[in-house]
Amino acid sequence: MSKREFITPIGEEGIYILDTASWRAARPVMNKDKCIECGICLTMCPVNAILREGPKKYFISYDYCKGCGICAYECPKKAIDMVKEGGE
Amino acid sequence: MSYIDTIADNKDLVTPGMSACHGCGGELILRRLLKVAGPNTVICIPPGCMAGAGVVGWSFDNGLKVPVHITLLDNTAAFLSGVTNIYQRQGRTDVNMVAMAGDGATADCGFQSLSGAAERGEKMLYVCYDNEGYMNTGFQRSSTTNRGSRTSTTPVGSVIPGKPQHSKNLPYIMAMHNAEYVATASPAYMKDMIEKIEKGLAASKNGFAYLHIFSPCPTGWLHGPEVSIDVSRKAVQSDYFQLFEVDKGVWRQTVANKKPITLKEFVGPLKKYGHCSDADIAALQENIDARKSFLQKMIG
Repeated sequence: MSKREFITPIGEEGIYILDTASWRAARPVMNKDKCIECGICLTMCPVNAILREGPKKYFISYDYCKGCGICAYECPKKAIDMVKEGGE
Repeated sequence: MSYIDTIADNKDLVTPGMSACHGCGGELILRRLLKVAGPNTVICIPPGCMAGAGVVGWSFDNGLKVPVHITLLDNTAAFLSGVTNIYQRQGRTDVNMVAMAGDGATADCGFQSLSGAAERGEKMLYVCYDNEGYMNTGFQRSSTTNRGSRTSTTPVGSVIPGKPQHSKNLPYIMAMHNAEYVATASPAYMKDMIEKIEKGLAASKNGFAYLHIFSPCPTGWLHGPEVSIDVSRKAVQSDYFQLFEVDKGVWRQTVANKKPITLKEFVGPLKKYGHCSDADIAALQENIDARKSFLQKMIG
Protein backbone atom coordinates (compact mmCIF):
# COMPACT_ATOMS: atom_id res chain seq x y z
CA MET A 1 0.00 0.00 0.00
CA SER A 2 1.49 3.32 -1.02
CA LYS A 3 1.48 6.44 1.13
CA ARG A 4 -1.62 8.48 0.65
CA GLU A 5 -2.13 12.20 0.72
CA PHE A 6 -5.68 12.15 2.08
CA ILE A 7 -7.28 10.21 4.91
CA THR A 8 -10.39 9.51 2.89
CA PRO A 9 -10.04 8.46 -0.72
CA ILE A 10 -10.65 11.07 -3.37
CA GLY A 11 -11.47 9.44 -6.63
CA GLU A 12 -9.71 11.69 -9.10
CA GLU A 13 -7.09 9.06 -9.82
CA GLY A 14 -8.40 5.62 -9.03
CA ILE A 15 -12.00 6.12 -9.99
CA TYR A 16 -14.34 3.16 -9.75
CA ILE A 17 -16.14 2.74 -13.05
CA LEU A 18 -18.41 -0.05 -14.23
CA ASP A 19 -19.31 -0.68 -17.85
CA THR A 20 -23.01 -0.13 -17.33
CA ALA A 21 -23.61 0.22 -21.08
CA SER A 22 -23.35 -3.57 -21.29
CA TRP A 23 -26.55 -3.89 -19.21
CA ARG A 24 -28.61 -2.21 -21.87
CA ALA A 25 -31.37 -4.29 -23.45
CA ALA A 26 -32.85 -1.40 -25.42
CA ARG A 27 -31.29 1.89 -26.45
CA PRO A 28 -33.04 5.24 -26.47
CA VAL A 29 -32.93 6.97 -29.85
CA MET A 30 -33.82 10.64 -30.18
CA ASN A 31 -36.04 11.70 -33.04
CA LYS A 32 -34.86 15.24 -33.71
CA ASP A 33 -37.88 15.98 -35.93
CA LYS A 34 -40.18 15.76 -32.91
CA CYS A 35 -37.73 17.05 -30.28
CA ILE A 36 -38.44 20.56 -29.01
CA GLU A 37 -35.15 20.74 -27.01
CA CYS A 38 -36.93 21.26 -23.70
CA GLY A 39 -34.39 19.33 -21.63
CA ILE A 40 -36.84 17.27 -19.54
CA CYS A 41 -34.98 14.06 -20.48
CA LEU A 42 -31.71 15.54 -19.23
CA THR A 43 -33.16 16.43 -15.84
CA MET A 44 -34.71 12.99 -15.31
CA CYS A 45 -31.87 10.74 -16.51
CA PRO A 46 -30.47 8.87 -13.46
CA VAL A 47 -27.14 8.14 -15.20
CA ASN A 48 -26.53 11.62 -16.64
CA ALA A 49 -26.30 9.97 -20.05
CA ILE A 50 -28.11 12.86 -21.72
CA LEU A 51 -25.83 15.81 -22.36
CA ARG A 52 -26.17 19.29 -23.74
CA GLU A 53 -23.93 21.01 -26.21
CA GLY A 54 -24.25 24.74 -26.66
CA PRO A 55 -27.31 26.53 -25.38
CA LYS A 56 -29.96 24.13 -26.74
CA LYS A 57 -28.72 20.92 -28.25
CA TYR A 58 -29.48 17.74 -26.37
CA PHE A 59 -28.06 14.37 -27.29
CA ILE A 60 -27.74 10.91 -25.75
CA SER A 61 -24.37 9.45 -24.89
CA TYR A 62 -24.39 5.64 -25.00
CA ASP A 63 -21.16 5.21 -23.02
CA TYR A 64 -22.90 4.41 -19.73
CA CYS A 65 -26.63 4.49 -20.56
CA LYS A 66 -28.33 1.58 -18.77
CA GLY A 67 -31.39 1.70 -21.01
CA CYS A 68 -33.91 2.21 -18.22
CA GLY A 69 -36.32 4.04 -20.54
CA ILE A 70 -37.18 6.94 -18.24
CA CYS A 71 -36.30 9.49 -20.95
CA ALA A 72 -38.59 7.83 -23.50
CA TYR A 73 -41.44 7.60 -21.00
CA GLU A 74 -41.11 11.16 -19.72
CA CYS A 75 -40.57 12.93 -23.05
CA PRO A 76 -43.53 15.31 -23.48
CA LYS A 77 -43.39 14.96 -27.29
CA LYS A 78 -42.62 11.21 -27.36
CA ALA A 79 -39.51 12.04 -29.36
CA ILE A 80 -37.41 9.22 -27.87
CA ASP A 81 -37.92 5.61 -28.97
CA MET A 82 -36.50 2.54 -27.24
CA VAL A 83 -34.83 0.36 -29.88
CA LYS A 84 -33.90 -3.22 -29.03
CA GLU A 85 -30.15 -3.79 -28.79
CA GLY A 86 -28.63 -6.30 -31.19
CA GLY A 87 -31.74 -6.32 -33.33
CA GLU A 88 -32.00 -5.44 -36.98
CA MET B 1 -30.07 30.37 -14.38
CA SER B 2 -32.82 27.83 -14.71
CA TYR B 3 -32.67 24.46 -13.02
CA ILE B 4 -32.02 22.78 -16.37
CA ASP B 5 -28.89 24.92 -16.81
CA THR B 6 -27.73 23.93 -13.32
CA ILE B 7 -28.06 20.27 -14.22
CA ALA B 8 -26.65 20.59 -17.74
CA ASP B 9 -23.67 22.83 -17.04
CA ASN B 10 -22.35 21.73 -13.65
CA LYS B 11 -19.72 19.03 -13.54
CA ASP B 12 -20.81 15.47 -12.82
CA LEU B 13 -18.96 14.49 -9.63
CA VAL B 14 -20.17 10.89 -9.56
CA THR B 15 -18.53 8.00 -11.39
CA PRO B 16 -20.19 7.56 -14.81
CA GLY B 17 -20.81 3.87 -14.30
CA MET B 18 -22.14 2.84 -10.90
CA SER B 19 -23.97 -0.36 -10.11
CA ALA B 20 -27.34 1.11 -9.11
CA CYS B 21 -30.30 -0.68 -10.70
CA HIS B 22 -32.10 0.52 -13.83
CA GLY B 23 -34.29 3.51 -13.04
CA CYS B 24 -32.89 3.95 -9.52
CA GLY B 25 -34.23 6.99 -7.68
CA GLY B 26 -31.27 7.04 -5.29
CA GLU B 27 -28.76 7.36 -8.11
CA LEU B 28 -30.75 10.21 -9.65
CA ILE B 29 -30.90 12.02 -6.29
CA LEU B 30 -27.18 11.56 -5.58
CA ARG B 31 -26.21 12.92 -8.99
CA ARG B 32 -28.54 15.91 -8.73
CA LEU B 33 -27.42 16.62 -5.16
CA LEU B 34 -23.75 16.74 -6.15
CA LYS B 35 -24.47 18.76 -9.29
CA VAL B 36 -25.91 21.47 -7.06
CA ALA B 37 -23.43 21.11 -4.18
CA GLY B 38 -20.39 21.25 -6.45
CA PRO B 39 -16.81 20.13 -5.83
CA ASN B 40 -16.40 22.04 -2.56
CA THR B 41 -18.23 19.36 -0.61
CA VAL B 42 -17.58 16.66 1.96
CA ILE B 43 -20.15 13.87 1.89
CA CYS B 44 -20.95 11.07 4.33
CA ILE B 45 -22.74 7.99 3.04
CA PRO B 46 -23.65 5.17 5.44
CA PRO B 47 -24.10 1.58 4.27
CA GLY B 48 -27.07 1.29 1.96
CA CYS B 49 -27.80 1.25 -1.72
CA MET B 50 -25.67 4.27 -2.59
CA ALA B 51 -22.66 3.01 -0.65
CA GLY B 52 -23.10 -0.48 -2.06
CA ALA B 53 -23.40 0.77 -5.64
CA GLY B 54 -19.71 1.62 -5.73
CA VAL B 55 -19.88 5.23 -4.63
CA VAL B 56 -17.62 4.76 -1.64
CA GLY B 57 -15.43 2.49 -3.72
CA TRP B 58 -13.23 -0.47 -2.97
CA SER B 59 -9.53 -0.70 -2.09
CA PHE B 60 -8.70 2.98 -2.62
CA ASP B 61 -10.78 3.32 -5.74
CA ASN B 62 -13.67 5.69 -5.27
CA GLY B 63 -16.89 6.48 -7.01
CA LEU B 64 -16.97 10.20 -6.26
CA LYS B 65 -14.71 13.10 -7.11
CA VAL B 66 -15.22 14.66 -3.68
CA PRO B 67 -14.10 13.32 -0.28
CA VAL B 68 -16.55 10.66 0.86
CA HIS B 69 -16.73 8.99 4.26
CA ILE B 70 -18.48 5.68 4.70
CA THR B 71 -19.85 5.90 8.21
CA LEU B 72 -21.57 3.20 10.22
CA LEU B 73 -25.27 2.63 9.72
CA ASP B 74 -26.14 4.38 12.97
CA ASN B 75 -23.71 7.28 13.34
CA THR B 76 -23.87 9.26 10.10
CA ALA B 77 -25.07 12.51 11.69
CA ALA B 78 -22.75 12.13 14.71
CA PHE B 79 -19.77 11.47 12.43
CA LEU B 80 -20.56 14.45 10.24
CA SER B 81 -21.02 16.62 13.35
CA GLY B 82 -17.38 16.00 14.16
CA VAL B 83 -16.26 16.68 10.60
CA THR B 84 -18.28 19.88 10.33
CA ASN B 85 -17.04 21.12 13.72
CA ILE B 86 -13.38 20.84 12.75
CA TYR B 87 -14.09 22.60 9.44
CA GLN B 88 -15.89 25.42 11.28
CA ARG B 89 -13.00 25.74 13.74
CA GLN B 90 -10.49 25.99 10.90
CA GLY B 91 -12.59 28.73 9.33
CA ARG B 92 -13.51 26.68 6.27
CA THR B 93 -17.18 27.57 6.50
CA ASP B 94 -17.65 27.58 2.73
CA VAL B 95 -17.38 23.79 2.48
CA ASN B 96 -20.73 22.06 2.02
CA MET B 97 -21.26 19.35 4.64
CA VAL B 98 -23.66 16.79 3.25
CA ALA B 99 -24.90 13.42 4.44
CA MET B 100 -26.89 11.16 2.17
CA ALA B 101 -28.54 8.20 3.85
CA GLY B 102 -31.33 5.79 3.08
CA ASP B 103 -34.46 5.58 5.16
CA GLY B 104 -33.10 2.71 7.27
CA ALA B 105 -29.98 4.66 8.22
CA THR B 106 -32.14 7.72 8.92
CA ALA B 107 -35.40 6.63 10.50
CA ASP B 108 -34.35 3.40 12.22
CA CYS B 109 -30.69 2.81 13.05
CA GLY B 110 -29.39 6.35 12.64
CA PHE B 111 -32.26 8.13 14.29
CA GLN B 112 -30.74 8.94 17.65
CA SER B 113 -27.60 10.47 16.14
CA LEU B 114 -29.74 12.38 13.60
CA SER B 115 -32.06 13.69 16.30
CA GLY B 116 -29.08 14.73 18.42
CA ALA B 117 -27.37 16.56 15.58
CA ALA B 118 -30.61 18.34 14.67
CA GLU B 119 -31.16 19.42 18.25
CA ARG B 120 -27.59 20.74 18.55
CA GLY B 121 -28.05 22.60 15.28
CA GLU B 122 -24.92 21.18 13.66
CA LYS B 123 -24.13 22.92 10.39
CA MET B 124 -24.91 20.28 7.79
CA LEU B 125 -27.42 19.18 5.18
CA TYR B 126 -28.80 15.72 5.84
CA VAL B 127 -30.51 14.14 2.85
CA CYS B 128 -32.63 11.02 3.26
CA TYR B 129 -33.62 9.14 0.11
CA ASP B 130 -36.71 7.27 1.15
CA ASN B 131 -37.30 4.03 -0.72
CA GLU B 132 -39.39 2.62 2.11
CA GLY B 133 -37.25 -0.32 3.09
CA TYR B 134 -33.77 -1.85 3.33
CA MET B 135 -33.40 -2.25 -0.41
CA ASN B 136 -29.68 -2.99 -0.47
CA THR B 137 -30.16 -6.22 1.47
CA GLY B 138 -33.34 -7.39 -0.23
CA PHE B 139 -36.25 -5.19 0.90
CA GLN B 140 -36.68 -5.83 4.59
CA ARG B 141 -39.28 -3.65 6.31
CA SER B 142 -38.20 -0.31 7.74
CA SER B 143 -40.13 2.17 9.83
CA THR B 144 -40.96 4.24 6.74
CA THR B 145 -42.49 1.25 4.90
CA ASN B 146 -46.18 1.97 4.53
CA ARG B 147 -48.97 -0.24 5.76
CA GLY B 148 -49.91 -3.16 3.52
CA SER B 149 -46.56 -3.25 1.71
CA ARG B 150 -45.13 -6.67 0.94
CA THR B 151 -41.52 -6.93 2.15
CA SER B 152 -39.24 -9.90 2.73
CA THR B 153 -39.76 -9.68 6.50
CA THR B 154 -43.51 -9.00 6.28
CA PRO B 155 -44.53 -11.48 3.59
CA VAL B 156 -48.12 -11.79 2.50
CA GLY B 157 -49.81 -14.91 3.87
CA SER B 158 -52.57 -16.18 6.10
CA VAL B 159 -51.13 -14.49 9.22
CA ILE B 160 -50.36 -10.94 8.05
CA PRO B 161 -51.31 -9.08 4.87
CA GLY B 162 -47.99 -7.32 4.37
CA LYS B 163 -46.75 -4.81 6.92
CA PRO B 164 -49.45 -4.40 9.60
CA GLN B 165 -48.31 -1.01 10.97
CA HIS B 166 -48.44 2.47 9.53
CA SER B 167 -45.19 4.21 8.64
CA LYS B 168 -43.32 6.73 10.73
CA ASN B 169 -43.62 10.19 9.24
CA LEU B 170 -40.05 11.35 9.53
CA PRO B 171 -40.25 14.81 7.88
CA TYR B 172 -42.81 15.89 10.50
CA ILE B 173 -40.64 14.54 13.30
CA MET B 174 -37.62 16.42 11.94
CA ALA B 175 -39.66 19.60 11.53
CA MET B 176 -40.32 19.48 15.29
CA HIS B 177 -36.57 19.70 16.01
CA ASN B 178 -36.47 23.46 15.41
CA ALA B 179 -34.13 22.82 12.51
CA GLU B 180 -33.10 25.61 10.19
CA TYR B 181 -34.71 24.05 7.14
CA VAL B 182 -36.76 20.89 6.64
CA ALA B 183 -38.34 19.89 3.33
CA THR B 184 -39.65 16.97 1.34
CA ALA B 185 -38.97 16.57 -2.38
CA SER B 186 -39.81 14.24 -5.22
CA PRO B 187 -37.67 13.65 -8.35
CA ALA B 188 -40.76 14.11 -10.55
CA TYR B 189 -40.85 17.77 -9.49
CA MET B 190 -37.24 18.42 -10.40
CA LYS B 191 -37.37 22.22 -10.31
CA ASP B 192 -38.80 22.11 -6.81
CA MET B 193 -36.20 19.53 -5.76
CA ILE B 194 -33.23 21.53 -7.08
CA GLU B 195 -34.52 24.67 -5.35
CA LYS B 196 -34.87 22.77 -2.08
CA ILE B 197 -31.34 21.39 -2.34
CA GLU B 198 -30.08 24.95 -2.92
CA LYS B 199 -32.07 26.26 0.04
CA GLY B 200 -30.92 23.37 2.19
CA LEU B 201 -27.26 24.01 1.37
CA ALA B 202 -27.69 27.70 2.17
CA ALA B 203 -29.43 26.87 5.46
CA SER B 204 -26.69 24.37 6.36
CA LYS B 205 -24.28 27.30 6.79
CA ASN B 206 -26.38 28.51 9.73
CA GLY B 207 -27.71 25.31 11.23
CA PHE B 208 -29.17 21.92 10.60
CA ALA B 209 -31.01 21.31 7.32
CA TYR B 210 -32.93 18.16 6.49
CA LEU B 211 -34.29 16.97 3.15
CA HIS B 212 -36.54 13.94 2.75
CA ILE B 213 -36.65 12.80 -0.88
CA PHE B 214 -38.99 10.20 -2.32
CA SER B 215 -36.90 7.57 -4.08
CA PRO B 216 -38.65 5.04 -6.31
CA CYS B 217 -37.11 1.55 -6.29
CA PRO B 218 -38.07 -0.57 -9.33
CA THR B 219 -36.29 -3.67 -8.01
CA GLY B 220 -37.98 -3.66 -4.61
CA TRP B 221 -41.36 -2.18 -5.42
CA LEU B 222 -41.62 -4.28 -8.57
CA HIS B 223 -42.52 -1.75 -11.22
CA GLY B 224 -40.89 -1.13 -14.58
CA PRO B 225 -37.78 1.07 -14.50
CA GLU B 226 -39.26 3.47 -17.06
CA VAL B 227 -42.17 4.44 -14.76
CA SER B 228 -39.92 5.44 -11.82
CA ILE B 229 -40.52 9.14 -12.30
CA ASP B 230 -44.20 8.57 -13.05
CA VAL B 231 -44.55 6.67 -9.76
CA SER B 232 -42.97 9.53 -7.82
CA ARG B 233 -45.27 11.99 -9.58
CA LYS B 234 -48.36 9.93 -8.75
CA ALA B 235 -47.20 9.65 -5.15
CA VAL B 236 -47.44 13.43 -4.89
CA GLN B 237 -50.68 13.67 -6.87
CA SER B 238 -52.39 11.12 -4.63
CA ASP B 239 -51.10 12.88 -1.45
CA TYR B 240 -49.22 9.68 -0.54
CA PHE B 241 -46.11 11.88 -0.36
CA GLN B 242 -46.71 15.57 0.26
CA LEU B 243 -44.30 18.27 -0.79
CA PHE B 244 -43.75 20.96 1.80
CA GLU B 245 -40.98 22.94 3.44
CA VAL B 246 -40.44 24.34 6.90
CA ASP B 247 -38.17 27.37 6.65
CA LYS B 248 -37.20 28.61 10.14
CA GLY B 249 -40.48 27.32 11.57
CA VAL B 250 -42.72 28.63 8.76
CA TRP B 251 -44.64 25.83 7.06
CA ARG B 252 -45.45 26.06 3.37
CA GLN B 253 -46.79 23.62 0.81
CA THR B 254 -44.54 23.98 -2.23
CA VAL B 255 -46.51 21.99 -4.81
CA ALA B 256 -50.24 22.54 -4.52
CA ASN B 257 -52.17 19.43 -5.44
CA LYS B 258 -55.21 20.90 -7.11
CA LYS B 259 -56.47 17.77 -8.87
CA PRO B 260 -55.73 14.85 -6.56
CA ILE B 261 -55.87 11.36 -8.05
CA THR B 262 -57.08 8.32 -6.13
CA LEU B 263 -54.67 6.20 -4.15
CA LYS B 264 -55.57 3.22 -6.38
CA GLU B 265 -54.02 4.96 -9.38
CA PHE B 266 -50.77 5.27 -7.46
CA VAL B 267 -50.62 1.74 -6.02
CA GLY B 268 -51.77 0.16 -9.31
CA PRO B 269 -48.35 -0.29 -10.96
CA LEU B 270 -46.62 -1.25 -7.69
CA LYS B 271 -46.63 -5.01 -7.18
CA LYS B 272 -45.62 -4.59 -3.54
CA TYR B 273 -49.25 -3.49 -3.00
CA GLY B 274 -50.56 -6.02 -5.56
CA HIS B 275 -52.32 -8.19 -2.96
CA CYS B 276 -54.09 -5.26 -1.24
CA SER B 277 -57.85 -5.40 -0.93
CA ASP B 278 -60.06 -2.31 -0.98
CA ALA B 279 -60.11 -2.39 2.84
CA ASP B 280 -56.29 -2.32 2.97
CA ILE B 281 -56.19 0.66 0.63
CA ALA B 282 -58.89 2.41 2.66
CA ALA B 283 -56.79 1.93 5.80
CA LEU B 284 -53.79 3.45 4.02
CA GLN B 285 -55.97 6.29 2.76
CA GLU B 286 -57.10 7.02 6.32
CA ASN B 287 -53.50 7.51 7.41
CA ILE B 288 -52.80 9.71 4.40
CA ASP B 289 -55.85 11.86 5.17
CA ALA B 290 -54.66 12.28 8.76
CA ARG B 291 -51.26 13.46 7.50
CA LYS B 292 -52.88 15.81 5.06
CA SER B 293 -55.07 17.46 7.70
CA PHE B 294 -52.03 17.75 9.99
CA LEU B 295 -50.14 19.59 7.25
CA GLN B 296 -53.10 21.89 6.62
CA LYS B 297 -53.22 22.74 10.33
CA MET B 298 -49.50 23.53 10.41
CA ILE B 299 -49.73 25.75 7.33
CA GLY B 300 -52.64 27.46 9.01
